[in-house]
Amino acid sequence: MSGTPRRRLLATALAAVLLAPLAACGDDSGEAPAVDSTKPVELSIFWWGGDARAKLTEEALALYTKKHPNVTFKKTWQANQGYFDKLATLTAGNDAPDIFQIDDNFLTEYASRNVTLDLTSYQKSGKLDTTKFPESLWKYGVVDGKLAGVAFGENTQGLVFNKTKLTAAGQPLPTTGMSWDAFISWAEAATAATKVPGTQDPSADYKAFWIWLRQQNKDLYEGKGLGFTAQDVTAWFDLWKGARDRKATPTADVIREGNATDITKQLVVTGKALTSWVWVNQLPELQKNTKDELGVVAYPGDPKAQWARAALYFSVYRGSDKKDVAVDVINFLANDPEVGKVLGTDRGLPPNLDIRAAVLSGMTDAAMKTSIEVEYELGKTFGPAPQVPLRGHSTLRSELIKAAESVQAGKATPAQAAEAFVTAAKSAISK
Amino acid sequence: MKAFVRTVVILALLGIILYPLFWVLGSSLKSQPEMLSNAGVLPEVFTPGNYPDGWSHLQTSFGRFFVNSTVVSLLVVLGNALSCLLAAFAFARLRFRGRATWFAIMVGTLLLPGHVLIVPQFIVFRQLDLVGGEFPYLPLILPHFLATEAFFVFLMVQFMRGIPRELDEAAKIDGCTTFGVFRNVILPLSRPALVTTAIFSFIWTWNDFFRQLVYVSDLPKYTVPVALRLFIDSQGQSEIGPMFAMSVLSLLPVFLFFLAFQKMLVEGINTSGLKG
Amino acid sequence: MALTTAPAPLHRAAKGPRVEPRGPRREGLAGYLFLTPWLVGLAAVTAVPMLMSLVLSFTDYDILSDWSELNWVGFANYERMFTQDPTFWHAVQVTVLFAVIATPLKLAAALGVALLLNKAIRGVGLYRSLFYLPSLLGGSVALAIVWVSMFSRDGAFNGFLALFGIAGPGWVNDPDYALGTLILLAVWQFGAPMVIFLAGLKQVPVELYEAASVDGAGALRKLRSITLPILSPVIFFNLVLETIHGFQGFTSAFVVSGGTGGPVDSTLMYTLYLYIKGFTDYEMGYASALAWVFLLAVGLLTVVLFSTGRFWVHYGDER
Repeated sequence: MSGTPRRRLLATALAAVLLAPLAACGDDSGEAPAVDSTKPVELSIFWWGGDARAKLTEEALALYTKKHPNVTFKKTWQANQGYFDKLATLTAGNDAPDIFQIDDNFLTEYASRNVTLDLTSYQKSGKLDTTKFPESLWKYGVVDGKLAGVAFGENTQGLVFNKTKLTAAGQPLPTTGMSWDAFISWAEAATAATKVPGTQDPSADYKAFWIWLRQQNKDLYEGKGLGFTAQDVTAWFDLWKGARDRKATPTADVIREGNATDITKQLVVTGKALTSWVWVNQLPELQKNTKDELGVVAYPGDPKAQWARAALYFSVYRGSDKKDVAVDVINFLANDPEVGKVLGTDRGLPPNLDIRAAVLSGMTDAAMKTSIEVEYELGKTFGPAPQVPLRGHSTLRSELIKAAESVQAGKATPAQAAEAFVTAAKSAISK
Repeated sequence: MKAFVRTVVILALLGIILYPLFWVLGSSLKSQPEMLSNAGVLPEVFTPGNYPDGWSHLQTSFGRFFVNSTVVSLLVVLGNALSCLLAAFAFARLRFRGRATWFAIMVGTLLLPGHVLIVPQFIVFRQLDLVGGEFPYLPLILPHFLATEAFFVFLMVQFMRGIPRELDEAAKIDGCTTFGVFRNVILPLSRPALVTTAIFSFIWTWNDFFRQLVYVSDLPKYTVPVALRLFIDSQGQSEIGPMFAMSVLSLLPVFLFFLAFQKMLVEGINTSGLKG
Repeated sequence: MALTTAPAPLHRAAKGPRVEPRGPRREGLAGYLFLTPWLVGLAAVTAVPMLMSLVLSFTDYDILSDWSELNWVGFANYERMFTQDPTFWHAVQVTVLFAVIATPLKLAAALGVALLLNKAIRGVGLYRSLFYLPSLLGGSVALAIVWVSMFSRDGAFNGFLALFGIAGPGWVNDPDYALGTLILLAVWQFGAPMVIFLAGLKQVPVELYEAASVDGAGALRKLRSITLPILSPVIFFNLVLETIHGFQGFTSAFVVSGGTGGPVDSTLMYTLYLYIKGFTDYEMGYASALAWVFLLAVGLLTVVLFSTGRFWVHYGDER
């Protein structure tokens, strides 16, 4: 929404009155001081994750301080519940951390509102080295032509299945490249043989929907709009309505249990379905939550539709007064071999291919090894990455869940729900 | 016999109402895979290890978070009790111009959904230079010394209005000033309201997640509700067992606080002052 | 001091508004003196953010953009709410349904248990604390997991129903029943009004009961003629606060739906919708407008409650 100049003026005057003293804090136009190796600098850095990630990240940051004793860190880490609420609040108070972790749900929200620093010039000058990154990976951090975030950790969609139960019932295991129809038939047979529903119904899952779209030369987004139509959504919902009717999936309420993103709610670990639709790099954590042995393959259909997705990014706050140091830290975290060893695959596969190879060779955990091998294998056929999701992506995701669940619960026909979803999605991305 | 029936009814009700809490307790003693497969109360394999695991799971011991939460909660109790009592006395007992308007405004502040205030409040506290630093809890505590929690002011007003005005008059005849009336009549008789305020202030602060999340940014300074969330990372590791164990432990201080203070509720007006 | 001076408006008929007696002039000064902390708090901590949110409700504020990007949009947010946002109306419906059912149930449970516990029986202190236990859980992660698990298809509640041969649905995950579990959760946490009732019951002088017993009054009559009138200021407080709280209802909705309002928006309470608009969709200007409409609507309801109060609330300071 762009107001007339007069309106803008009014609002600005208002903001000025309310926020006068803040203006001084949010200086983003002044030149950042050059990296000075003696002046003490304290950088604030903010990420979400578990305790393991915190330990590794702090160790990696300590390595930086060891090399640059004048640079210290004010580290904040939290659970992902509330993370973005806090980050937004800090941003509003011009108090955002110098470096923060972000994901593709929110990258465009922040980048398009100029919260993130455009890193393109650093990349060009070599201060931020992405030459060892797969091209599609770093490009998945470009929003409106600006490099808004440095991809940290690569992952891709993975279909995780319960090997133990399938083998015990003498069922074949799912394979990469099987068609969607073949997969649903397989799930139907698996249900009959094991008495456990063959697959979670992914009709509410944007990442499955996305892959399916790409396999028919569509996409989730195209330019500033949607890359699909209501017909596509209807076909997608119909596909899974058929699967439910054939008892290839659990009942609607159980499907909903599995629609939560939490690892511990995935039906493959709660034993309520034989397959779950997740990210490949989640396999090790899933494995910890069940005694059964798990395996992973690509989503059904042509695996070329999958891409190197940045699991998350590090971005620099545009209002930071230590931009150069912040970029240097990110560069260090991404490219230093010693740091690579420390961080491992905690955030996904290391973005730097040399480091990735080194980390891979030293891997011992079986589930971890499997997930990396599968991703490596899929990586050979990865197609080009889609554009970074538009503003309103998280709303689009929840609207898809709502639409799919209304079909599952029998509250709407596939066509009605598809229509409602497309309308809501259009309005979500147009604001 | 009547007391017996009453006790039976109470115990039956408690059995139903407390079932979810038994479940939490039971789950805190289950291993992670069992947590997902066994929906019953009792663990199949008794796993007390969740407690030590949870306690020392983070780089900062959980004891530290208990200390932080206790400090914040007790200061909030103190602030609310003091400041709300003063304001409530004015609203309930003193006549002054604009009283009705101020009272309406006070009730009005209860009505605005808090989420739209988070950002503006943050900006205000930042301008007042209260955010961060060695003691980052000031934005969580200071407002409570200024009677900003209208709930308690209103609560105390309602209680004070239940105190017979004849007592004030009698005290005034005995030569008490306004402050004397407050000190000698209202204060002692407001104990049920004060105790209620203390209980709620403590418990609500102990459980408040969102504001503590926003203002506290350093792990050793985290409070219990913020720390409890650290066990669950929805995309990555989820340590549910230790989370349940620490949740059970975090109920203990509030439960004990309640148990101790509810006694004072029992010894209300019935057994004290008014009888004379 | 004799108890005969106690308030005890036995059988007193409801009466109209009391004429404010004029106090001595210096009470005015004392009034503002006692009010000073509150006034400072209002000015420094409460009023400024509230007014900011009011102003922002007329803008396209999105939290993240620089303040210089802020645009004044007039009443556009308010217009959009009433004319172009079906989800708003849906949230209003869910909220009214929730509040209308949950608030009376919760108050009844609280008063019932408070009366049950207002007797000197062995262990009553412990019982009180145990009844308060559910409320101690607040909106914690543990509670979220418990509630969802209890009311899933294979949860404890269906296990209980199975004893009677009933196969229950997956309550929390079924759009037809999820709001029911939300209401149950709100009622289950009746500890706060219960404690307030208990504290209020302590203000009832025992001697009145004794006198009534001498007059041959039964338990029900004592309840109606003595307990309820004296308790009425506290009942009034609980009614007002629980009504406001019921309409806000954020915590239980967040707990049961994981913050989504699902399944199929069946638990999308007004305040949850507002939160999603502000912090997920970054439409804080719109969220602020939603909040102020809420304030006006619930404020109006509060005014109605206050005006009925004069017919049934008896204050000890009335003569």
